Amino acid sequence: MKTMKNPVLALALCALIGMSATLAFAVTTVRYLHVRVSNQSTHELVRVNVPLILAEKVIPAINNEDLRDGKVHIGDMHADKVNVRAVLDALKTAPEGEFVTVQNTGDDVRVAKEHGQVVVHVIDKNSKETVDVTVPWDVVEALVSDTTENQLNVEAAIKALENVGDTTLVRVSGSDENVRVWIDSHNTDSE
Amino acid sequence: MIFLAKLGIGVLGTALAGAAALSTEGFIYVNVQEKQPGGTHVHVLVPAALVPTALHFVPRHNFADSSHDLREALPIIDAAIPALKDAPDGVFVEVKQPDEHVLVAKRGGSIIVDVNDRDETVHVSVPLIAAQSAIHQIAEASPMD
Repeated sequence: MKTMKNPVLALALCALIGMSATLAFAVTTVRYLHVRVSNQSTHELVRVNVPLILAEKVIPAINNEDLRDGKVHIGDMHADKVNVRAVLDALKTAPEGEFVTVQNTGDDVRVAKEHGQVVVHVIDKNSKETVDVTVPWDVVEALVSDTTENQLNVEAAIKALENVGDTTLVRVSGSDENVRVWIDSHNTDSE
Repeated sequence: MIFLAKLGIGVLGTALAGAAALSTEGFIYVNVQEKQPGGTHVHVLVPAALVPTALHFVPRHNFADSSHDLREALPIIDAAIPALKDAPDGVFVEVKQPDEHVLVAKRGGSIIVDVNDRDETVHVSVPLIAAQSAIHQIAEASPMD
């Protein structure tokens, strides 16, 4: 009986140690917001690596002009007579799929809800610039949570970003300049 | 002879204790090297614990403008510095240009700023604790508006 118990006990201990290690890793993992701007023609490179926990603590402390109490006041959320908040509310309940596709001589625009993310893809045909924005739906919801009109909840969005997986939020590819904004758990911007 | 030995141990012990006390908050390190021939080389290593004392000897009126500006930023600084202390070491900002390289990083409880341009190299290392206490001291140096 004793020989039967020992392997079980050992297995249970291993599982406990494994769970503790996983939990410790999960607790200590610091998430970073990275920004990388590179310009091939001027040979300029800007790299920013901000621990999200830092942004989370600093942003509520800023009370200046349009950023107060973790919320940014934007002039008017009605872009070209389109109520952005109403659109976001509609998107929330809409099924996944493509919502907007605009193709004209100047640029192509595509807005979709895919895999729980809002995806915006823009191609400027003149400058050959492409812009890809991918925002996890939880972050979109956090942005408009607990806000009045013309406000975005930056603090809540950053908290929501802490819980999303490694993802590229913004990628701009131009003929000269490239911009990438992404989230991961590395303290450097190695891709 | 025994008295001299005791005195020596006492002096050495006091010196070591003083050095240890001064070192507790780390050191502020500034290194500026001008690149042109015969350029100036400034090399300063100061125990951060001395900064609050040193600031007491600076006339208050010298802080007037800085005081006002820093007071407004104090909530942000007070939120940022503890968060920075908790953050892992790493590079926060790096700017590379053909003739300039700027790096802002955190290493071992200090904020490090490195600038390397065509004229000079600058290296500044400031312990976060010292930065916070010095900023508070400067902010409180002039009376409230």
